[in-house]
Amino acid sequence: MKEHHALIDGLKSLPEADWRLLMGIFAAALAALLAGVAFGAATAFTRAGFVEPGPLAGFRAMTAHAVSIFFYWLYFAQAGLLLVLATVFTSHQHGIGWRRAAWAGFALMLAGFAASLYGISSGLPLLYDAPPELGREPSAALAATYAGYLFLAAGLFCVAAAGIATTVAPLARGEHDRMPVVSFAACAWAGLLMVSAIAAANAFLPSALWAFGLREAPAGYATGWHILFHNMHYLPLMATVLAWYVLVEALTGVKSIFGARFSKIVFATYLVFVPPTSLYHMFLEPNLAEGVRVAGSLLSLFISVPTVTVFLVIVASLEVHARAHGGKGLFGWIGMLPWRNPAMSAIGFAVVNLALGGALSFVLIQEKLAVLLSDTFFVPGYFHFLTVGTVTLTFLAALLYVLPALTGRALWRPQVLRWMPHLTTAGLALFGGAGIAAGYAGVPRRALEVSYDGAAPAAWSALMSAVGAGGALMTAALLVYLYALLRNLIPIGAAATAELPEVRWAQAVTGRQRAWTGPLAILVLVGLTVAFTTLAFELLRALPVAAAGGAAH
Amino acid sequence: MHSDALIFAIVFAVWLVLAALYALVPMFAMPGYAVVWGWGALVFLGLAALTERAVRRARQRRLHPKEGK
Repeated sequence: MKEHHALIDGLKSLPEADWRLLMGIFAAALAALLAGVAFGAATAFTRAGFVEPGPLAGFRAMTAHAVSIFFYWLYFAQAGLLLVLATVFTSHQHGIGWRRAAWAGFALMLAGFAASLYGISSGLPLLYDAPPELGREPSAALAATYAGYLFLAAGLFCVAAAGIATTVAPLARGEHDRMPVVSFAACAWAGLLMVSAIAAANAFLPSALWAFGLREAPAGYATGWHILFHNMHYLPLMATVLAWYVLVEALTGVKSIFGARFSKIVFATYLVFVPPTSLYHMFLEPNLAEGVRVAGSLLSLFISVPTVTVFLVIVASLEVHARAHGGKGLFGWIGMLPWRNPAMSAIGFAVVNLALGGALSFVLIQEKLAVLLSDTFFVPGYFHFLTVGTVTLTFLAALLYVLPALTGRALWRPQVLRWMPHLTTAGLALFGGAGIAAGYAGVPRRALEVSYDGAAPAAWSALMSAVGAGGALMTAALLVYLYALLRNLIPIGAAATAELPEVRWAQAVTGRQRAWTGPLAILVLVGLTVAFTTLAFELLRALPVAAAGGAAH
Repeated sequence: MHSDALIFAIVFAVWLVLAALYALVPMFAMPGYAVVWGWGALVFLGLAALTERAVRRARQRRLHPKEGK
């Protein structure tokens, strides 16, 4: 009989009430992803000049894309995965603690999604950061926009509270002496979700009151947004590495060779590094003190420490076990991983895309370059490596595992799905490569039409066409994923299970095996960062705006 | 102190120091940052307290099984 993992066994034995809640949350996540992908394709095609919907419809599509993906897909998925991991790895027979709070949270998040879509479709599209000065004066659409974000924040707070109750209650019942690693990480993640909900209230409540006509326009909106935005960078990454940790164990049977306590400390470093690394978001503020700029630059270097550490723990643990099973050569062991499993191939490409996105992000958070690149297409060029290539691929990998276990139905065509990360990454390479080049060349970030009646360099339009083509490839891959997952969610055909390829290395006797892949990967990451930074400085020095910038500095 | 609670307590301490920095040091004076990190510090203090309380409760139950019921 095949050895199952705690994730699969736990999901299969969840109480009926939890099953319904999780199915609802994952259905909402996929609906948000579908909306985000559709509006994303419309945005990319508009920017490429493939379609011409007009400025209002174009900005509406861009806003709906960003809001659906960045706020709702990523956070419905996190809400569901948090509850899954908190429950399954702590005490699945008792199910979700404070279930009513979790249901209330889900309802609030749904209300938020509806309000946000109403706000986008009926008023001026404010883009996802929704600065009140763009809205000009209070209106029902503006009120709905801010109320949507506040409902989402309240919903996340409730779901996080349920997640914490789920992880802490078994300690009080004496079921565990210590939280299992995944439960502890889920509890820490829930804490950060709560703080982010507070940050959202801090950012949006004054604007919501203004939009409802209850106070004057708020001052200092940008600072509140930056704090929230910083949390919203960290949360999906923390969820991503936790999903890797869980899925790698499910796919290979390998646990961390560094022990439970060390793993807990590593997950806790996310919490320690969140506040001190937040200053770089303020680099565009003209009145920021020079000392704060210096401190922000230095502290920003630490932003990847937790993610890199989790990566090293996972890769070293895998390499040691693979070598104990006969893995040869410097990288030969990598081929022994179960790549025909679509979850494994998604995680593998997520790691590659994180390296690219991470290296590029280090270019952007440098104080001297942030000012020059932040309003160019460099920004969407690099962050899609993270939002699509890393976080979305990882969440989809988790859903490929979780949904079939919840529904009892086999995954649709795993042999097709295993190639979707390749297609997504090919699309990203085109979208991101052309986007980064466009950013270095000065193409503006939020302008739908960049020919400027022929006054702009000819390369700008060509690069945006490549961006559109890359967007089409990513859209195709994500639609295939969505079809497979929605087909699993909706009861079509008879229930059946199919075993996906896995390896079982847990019983391997590990000795003094080499584990050089992780450190070498970090060296490559550092090299990429230096290369991208040097390229940025050289290209920007060559631009004709250098003289104007020099005078103003 | 229980090791899980201790980790949350350390996070609380770091966030509290950062919140104080943003509230009290003129160069870093950013009230918004101080408010959010300050509330965040309270969240992690709450997590540390909850975890410690849960562990003590379980210990109490093991020592006095009848009282725990």
